[in-house]
This record gives sequence, structure tokens and C-alpha cells, in this order.
Amino acid sequence: MARTLAFIEAINEALHQEMERDERVFVLGEDIGLSGGVFKATAGLYEKFGEDRVLDTPLAEGIIVAASVGASLVGWRPVPEIQFTDFVTDAIDAIIQQASKLHYRSAGGYTCPITVRICCGGGVGGGLYHSQENAAWFVHEPGLKVVMPSTPYDAKGLLLAAIRDPNPVLFFEHKKLYRTAKGEVPEDDYTVPIGPAAVRREGRDITVLVYGYMTHVALEAAEVMSKRGVEAEVVETRTLAPLDKQTILDSVRKTNKCLIVHEDKRTMGIGAELSAIVSEEAFEYLDGPIVRVTGPDIPAIPFSPPLEKFFLVNTEKVVAAMEKLAAY
Amino acid sequence: MATKENRASASRASAGSRSSAVAEPEVEKTAPRKGGRETDGGYSPELLLGLYRTLVKCRLCDEKARILFRQSKFAGNFYSGVGQEATEVGAAYSLREDDWIAPSHRDWTANIIKGAPLKFCFAQLFAKSTSPDRGRSSPAHMGYPPLNVITPASTIAAQLNIGTGVAFGLKKLKRDSVVVSFFGDGATSFGGFHEALNFAGVHRLPIVYVCQNNLWAESVPLRLQTALKDLSDRAKAYGFPGVSVDGNEVLAVYEAATKAITRARVGEGPTFIECKTYRWYGHSEIDPAKYRSKEEVEAWRKKDPIPRFEKHLTERKVLTEELKNEITAQITAEINEAVDFADQSPYPEPEEATGFVWSS
Repeated sequence: MARTLAFIEAINEALHQEMERDERVFVLGEDIGLSGGVFKATAGLYEKFGEDRVLDTPLAEGIIVAASVGASLVGWRPVPEIQFTDFVTDAIDAIIQQASKLHYRSAGGYTCPITVRICCGGGVGGGLYHSQENAAWFVHEPGLKVVMPSTPYDAKGLLLAAIRDPNPVLFFEHKKLYRTAKGEVPEDDYTVPIGPAAVRREGRDITVLVYGYMTHVALEAAEVMSKRGVEAEVVETRTLAPLDKQTILDSVRKTNKCLIVHEDKRTMGIGAELSAIVSEEAFEYLDGPIVRVTGPDIPAIPFSPPLEKFFLVNTEKVVAAMEKLAAY
Repeated sequence: MATKENRASASRASAGSRSSAVAEPEVEKTAPRKGGRETDGGYSPELLLGLYRTLVKCRLCDEKARILFRQSKFAGNFYSGVGQEATEVGAAYSLREDDWIAPSHRDWTANIIKGAPLKFCFAQLFAKSTSPDRGRSSPAHMGYPPLNVITPASTIAAQLNIGTGVAFGLKKLKRDSVVVSFFGDGATSFGGFHEALNFAGVHRLPIVYVCQNNLWAESVPLRLQTALKDLSDRAKAYGFPGVSVDGNEVLAVYEAATKAITRARVGEGPTFIECKTYRWYGHSEIDPAKYRSKEEVEAWRKKDPIPRFEKHLTERKVLTEELKNEITAQITAEINEAVDFADQSPYPEPEEATGFVWSS
């Protein structure tokens, strides 16, 4: 039976259900037990499963992930939480040098089935160190799967798929979606497969490649443009690694125009790779330049409201880019 | 080579001392002795000979690897542990098959002690398709998954964090398996070292941290690494015992390690063992180690763990010249056979580079 749930409630339900279903699953992180998480993603788990499976850790992201990697080698399915992606830097060795390479460097002798939940994203007044995204850092590392849902349905389904995946998965959660994104979520067990992109809106004129919170912004912009006679096709790359090239290319070959939208900084961002894929494999189909709407190349999202607004991509910025591209 | 028999007797000995409760965290100091030990704790001749065989095996394998590297039989680099063998053998000899080792780059021989077939160890150096990782890691970065030796990364101290994670997982499984993690003095400066030991202390994890303090982290002397004299002092900060031992005396390491392993097995938590030792050669085979004085190297060569142990075994009438020669001949033959296997093994096909990125 489907009910309307908020994004955070869908994540919470997935954790409850998977921990009931599979005794190998446990969660760990800062403030996730007694307090239920700073955003309450893990609410109620401590009361139900106890400290053995819901562990408040020392304030040390490196060992949160490294302990998960090690525990996964002896059969556990750990789900560590990184409270803010801004703090994931301490866990970079554990994620990039260990989790992503253990299977490879042991030629399959070891596998590392961990799901690192990472809260990310701006637009909530978080300032420099509570607003970053940084998914691009990890998409560069084969051996890691990276997903970022935009709907409560996908949040639950992708999280269950991630925990059941035999590879390390980074599960990015945009904090602005936690309570604003609401939607139907089945109570039953289901998974959304890691890999396939989702065509959120069909259109003949412009392909918009987008992920995470920006999916909603792109859909709003598409509605604005629809009234002006331009039909955009919104393709959400809800799995960022490995990318669903086929769906991306199929759409671009149909619309002949490609707009890429993401919140994170521009240079060498995920948009750069999407752009390369399209130009390498669908060049002859393009009727105009590949256009990117992204955050600017400044170190992080500043705190003061006008500065934050300057950084963030909004509907107006996407509409303006669509207008420009539609003119070709 | 550790036989199944003496491994079993070692683990029985550990099981026998289950009742020895360790109360409050403490830092013990065992001053390095100048001569041999007066007693050996009543260890059986089988155990003593097993330790001796393994020491010699590690030494001969390591020296053979150096020769093979010079002969360009394999490329890359090699990180010899010659001079430090007693730390590895003493710490890992009594481990059971279900126990884990988290080695570092200088711990190639940890695989040998755990029981990995020599032919696979040399195939690892040669980067052949028959190596445990099918030619992926650098020569000395060897793990052996069938016997729970973790394939190491080159990022210093990382193996200590992953080893701590394995210990965390083992404790959650309520098994009595343990982890031994090897690392050098340099690793103790790394931030992850603190995170790992702190976590292990909080959860009283079944792990033994074996620090091979050889006074030099590549070319950086200990005085620029730490203000401490005894690295075992660090343990106090994490709430578990630390002990410094003569790392060139195999029985001293063995004694400290078996005590620590027993503690870990019965749920009493981690132990930090600092083994004061020395590597005879450079950081790697391409490092002439000119930063060290000849006098220093000579002084440490005189503390060679093998003749010291031989002297003791001869005095105890466990080892004769004849047996010594027999052991050396046996191991040499085994090594030659393993080198032939590695030499004759094929290289991986180029496109195998794309294998094992993903698990399915």
C-alpha cells in the first residue's frame, strides 16, 4: 500500500525495514543513535534495534567508514552515515583507497558491501561547510557506485538496492529534499535498480540532464518553457556512477539539444563528464552547443543570503539557458 | 614453517590462560636485553623449532627476493624486512587459520607465516597471473584472502584502520578470532592511527597492534617523528595496555604477542606492542640509505635475531649444526621450486586489467 511520505521518512522506513529483514545490516555514525540523527534519518532505530546495531561513533569520519569497510570483510552490511558531505574529507582514504579498490587489488578475494549515506546540498543557509555536494570527487573512482535520488519513492528503493549491492555505494541525500519532497511510497519491500536513469518528463526539443534536488528545478523550468512552446525532456541521472549512457544518448539523439544542470561547482564537475559523453557519442545529432547551468567556480556556498542566492541554480537561470538553446 | 601441530599447541596454550584477567589499562616496559634470555617460558622443542624454521624461512625468502630484484627478475620495487623477522614471526606465529593479519608494505613475509604457499608469494613478486591478486598490486603489497591476510594499500597506516574494522566485525560476530596489525614507527604519526586505536579502545576490540619501530620512516629519523622514547606510551591514551619489547628477540615478541592475542580472544580488548628493531637495508631496494651511519647499521647487525636464537636453541640442545643445515637446505629447495613456479607462470593478459572492478 502506498502512502504519501516525505523524503526523510522514506529513508527512515527503508532503514527500519532492511534492518528487520537482514541481521547483517547495522548503522553507525555521529549522533545517529540516541538522538536519531541530526535530520532524524535514523529515528527510532536505536529504540528498536539497540546499540549493537545502531552505533553512535566517536567524532571521526575516517574510522566510521574504515570500521565499516573492515566489518564488511567479515560479512556485515554496514550503513555508515556522514552527517555532512563537507566532513567526508577525513574518510577519503577509507572510501577511495580502501573501499573502491579492495575488490580490485585482491582480484576478487575481498568484497566491500557498504552503503555510505551522505547528507549534502545547499539552499538551507548552511554556509561554506554545511552546503557542499562533492559527488564529483567520487564519480571519478571506478569501484564505487554513486547514487543521488530526488523523490521519496527512489530514496527508499535506491537505498534498499544500495544496501543489497555487493559493491560500496555512496548514497547522497540532498538535505533540501528531506522535508520538502513528498510523494507516494509503497509500504512493501521494493528496489529501484542502481544504474538506470529516469525520464521524468518527455519532450521533443531539449534534453535536460539533471540529478538530485535540481531535478525539481529543471521540471519547473520545463513547465515554464512549455507555455512558450518549447518541450524539454528531463532525464534524471539518479545513478551517477555508473552512468546510464544509453538513456542519455537516446534522449539527445531525439531532441538534438543538450542542457546540463547541477548545483555543484562547474569545473570538472559531473556536467563536464556528461558533456564529454554527449559530444563524443552524439556529436552529429547536436543542433547547438552543449550548455551547462551550474554553481560558479568559487570554493563553496557562502553563508550570507545574497551570496548563497548567487551560487545556487534556480528556475530563472535554467529557463534563461533553455531560451538560449531553443534559439538554435 | 609453522606446522599444524605446533599451531594447535600454541592455541591450546592460549586457551589455557583464559582465566588471567587483565584489570586496568597499564603501560609495561620490557627493557631490551643485551644478551639472550635466561629462560624461555618452558616452550616445547617443537614450538621453538617451529619459530626457528619460520624465522629462517622469512630471512631466506627476503634475501632471495632481493637477489631476484637485482637480477631484474621482477620490476617495481621491494621493501625488505631483513633484520625485523623476529617481530613478524613472534607476533604472527601463534595465529589460527581463522585469525586475520593486516599487513603493511614491509610485511610480505606475514603471508608466509600465515601459511600462504611460497609459490604464490614469489608469483606475487613477479606480478604473474598466478599471484593471489593476479598481478595487480606492487610486488611486496601482498595479501592472501584464503588465510585472511588483507591485501594492503600503500597509504601508510590505512591497514591499521581496516584491520580495526575487521576486529569490530569479528567482535560483532561474537567469534573469538583476532586481528594482528603490523605497522612502522612512521604510521603512528598519521591521524588515522589515532582514530583507529581510539575506536578499538572504546569497543575493546580483538586486535593486537604490532609496531615495528625500526627508527627510520624511510629517511626520517624517529626524533623527527615523535617526542616519545617508547611508542608503547601511546597506548595509555587509548585505555589499553602497551608494551615495548626487544624486537630482535623472537621469544620476547612471541611472549608479548601470545599474551596480547589471548587477551583479545577472551574479550579483554586490544594491546599495543612496540617491537624495537631495525631494517638492515634501505627503505626499498632503490634506497641506498645514506642517511644512516655505518656504525649504526653494524651495531644492529650484531643484534641479528637469528644467530641469537640459534645460540639459545643450541644451549637448550634443541638445535644441532646438522639440523640447522638440514632446515636451511629444505627451505632453500622449497624456495627454488617456488621461484621456478613464478618464473614459468604467465603474465596476465592485458585486458585482464579491467577485471574485478565490480563485485557481482
